[in-house]
Amino acid sequence: MTQSHIDIRGWGAVTTLGWSARESAKNLLTGKVLAGDFCTSSHLINRELKAYEISYAGNPLEKAWAMIDSALTEAFSQAKLTAAEIAESCLLVGTTGGLFIRNEYEFTEIVRQNPGKESPPIACRNRGPGEVADAIAGKYGINGMIMTFSMACVSSSHALVVASQLLEQEKIRRAIVVGFEPLLNLTLQGFASLLLYDDEQCRPFCANRSGMQIGEASAAVILERNDLFVKDENNTELDSKGYRGVEEGATQAYMTIRRGAADVANKDSRMKTTRYRFAGGYLFNDNNSLTSAGVDGELAGNVIGHTLTAAEISPAEIVAIKAHGTGTRDNDLSEGRGLTRVFGDNLPPVVSLKGAIGHTLGAAGAVETALWLSCLEEGMLPKSFGFTQIDPDLGFAPSQVNIPAKDGAYLFTFFGFGGTCTSYIVIKE
Amino acid sequence: MNRVMTNKNNISSIPVVAASYLGPSLMPNLDAAWDESKLPLSPDDLVLKIMGQPLRRAGRFIKLVCCGALACLKNVPAEDLKDKKIGIFLATGLGNVDEILPFITQVFKHEGGFPSPNQFANSVSNAAAFFLAKVSEIKGVVLTVSQEELSFESSLWLAQSYLESGEIDLALVGGCDVFTPTVADYRERMDLKPDNHRFMPMGEGSSWLLIGKTSGKKIGNILAIRLDHNKKTERSSNENILSENEMIANTLIGMHSKQKILLPGFRLTDTDHLFFTGKGWKVEDYLPHCGIHPTATAYGLARALLCCPSAFLVHCNYYATGRRALVAAVTE
Repeated sequence: MTQSHIDIRGWGAVTTLGWSARESAKNLLTGKVLAGDFCTSSHLINRELKAYEISYAGNPLEKAWAMIDSALTEAFSQAKLTAAEIAESCLLVGTTGGLFIRNEYEFTEIVRQNPGKESPPIACRNRGPGEVADAIAGKYGINGMIMTFSMACVSSSHALVVASQLLEQEKIRRAIVVGFEPLLNLTLQGFASLLLYDDEQCRPFCANRSGMQIGEASAAVILERNDLFVKDENNTELDSKGYRGVEEGATQAYMTIRRGAADVANKDSRMKTTRYRFAGGYLFNDNNSLTSAGVDGELAGNVIGHTLTAAEISPAEIVAIKAHGTGTRDNDLSEGRGLTRVFGDNLPPVVSLKGAIGHTLGAAGAVETALWLSCLEEGMLPKSFGFTQIDPDLGFAPSQVNIPAKDGAYLFTFFGFGGTCTSYIVIKE
Repeated sequence: MNRVMTNKNNISSIPVVAASYLGPSLMPNLDAAWDESKLPLSPDDLVLKIMGQPLRRAGRFIKLVCCGALACLKNVPAEDLKDKKIGIFLATGLGNVDEILPFITQVFKHEGGFPSPNQFANSVSNAAAFFLAKVSEIKGVVLTVSQEELSFESSLWLAQSYLESGEIDLALVGGCDVFTPTVADYRERMDLKPDNHRFMPMGEGSSWLLIGKTSGKKIGNILAIRLDHNKKTERSSNENILSENEMIANTLIGMHSKQKILLPGFRLTDTDHLFFTGKGWKVEDYLPHCGIHPTATAYGLARALLCCPSAFLVHCNYYATGRRALVAAVTE
């Protein structure tokens, strides 16, 4: 297994299962999961499309910001990031809709306030996908590089992989990776128009599946190089709060002060024994089909194989797979067959989270990673919701019971519109 | 670490193999006249000329992305691209609004409309990069990056990182934004206020650079890409810009004899040409040729790389919220 230089220092998420990754994981593991349902938010005009909608008392625009803030607050708190560390961090955001919800909310409010009148054409006033990152950076004082990936369903999974590559290159020291997608008429109606929507239920890898269901969510995952730490007199890494951001060129006196303080922190850190490393990140774009990764599984298999090779991990070492598993025929066939190509008869437990939280589109990478990490913290892996019958074209069932979360390597896969593929490994140790 | 430089030593040099610029007149690599009130122009003739066949199912954004990028690639002999790993880095500030707006208009149409699945498919944020990857037969690293008016600089920096890592041999880096039907909406979307930009018509463009390892001809080098955070109060005084540019010039080209050229981004409100001329710098204002659009930097850089021989170029731009981007380059 390769020596990864990247730690996952903290994470947070808001899903339909809860306003934190921890709460979401607990509800997921205890089966407190509600299937997608008809939506009630004031900006959604079609009440016949089931989706995974987060409850909120205020308006949808306020909810969008509350989702972002909650995920970031949880991640910063868990990572124990100081204000200075936040300021020096880089921010990579994955989103497709960005703040397009502003257009939809403002439009529906105008219509609501003018009953009986003909609707005006909707205006497009959001500032593009980068608006979310700019607003986050401004609010939290993030002064490092900011960048937004707007790449459909792999937006934030690509952002995680790019962040890991920049960290490996020592281009950056720490990355705050955010995924964010609120429910939009644009995407709900869009996937419905493509006939990719399951009117009943999201059923990944199930023979009875007939499409996806969208969920809304936000998440933040903080990646950091793990070999830039201060070391104590015995060359032991001090891997606790606040001692990973030592500025280049710091004076010896400064280092000494930091080390003195770090002794205290290091004692705290012994309380927490679990560490999560990010390894083997790989992204690939195929150009054969706009909407499919190829149902023969060759492309998906190659991407997964490359990920394992890059991380120097054999298929037998994978503890479990967090699959993309959207519930669409093309995705499930290409991904399922790709997994079979790599793992053969020794397929580890496969879990899709989309039967529990829906397909959170561009946020899926960060959201599903954060939720999975919180499950690992709880010591259990969730079952895959929405499954009832094995698809003979796939020949396997996703995991149907919660299982203990052992130390080891976990494989993550994401496949998206435009021939996009992402895969990476999280190592629990 | 609030400053991201090109590498640990702050100095790097990436060969520019080819460049192409396309503005609102839709005439590649030409400073042709155009009129904001007559925009947007149909790109269909351009598509036929560059691609040899129509792109019937694609909107303007996708067409401009493909035409701009292919115009750049066509400047390179095919043998120079053979067996090269090429990455695509598409920068856009506002994305493919020409597909999103008609789709969402149908969704919200009074008493119900019929949104087109094809329009939705093309409105997805990375559809244009996919089309470009397909027509240029590129697989692998294909990224769509957006960061408002620093989208192109961010993409260029990311492309450089990929080149340094060895994952790709060449990077096709471009910026594309299309004219939004309503000028008022366009200006609002770009957060243009009287005191935060130079007064110019709104425009559009698709401008591209091919950068990276080459055994063939090159037209210049990207020397440095700097993205950092800057307090608004420290912004764009002529003295500050000159001081910074002189420092960069001294560091990067030393005593080499090059015409020093400042390319001011649209957020620079009061660039004093006489002041800079008196200090040995020429100011090349490219905005009259392309108009304001989020990725105008790509146009300005590509145009200068093609049209300003033996020059040292510094493009300077600011985010409305105070971030800053500098790109330094030299031409052959």
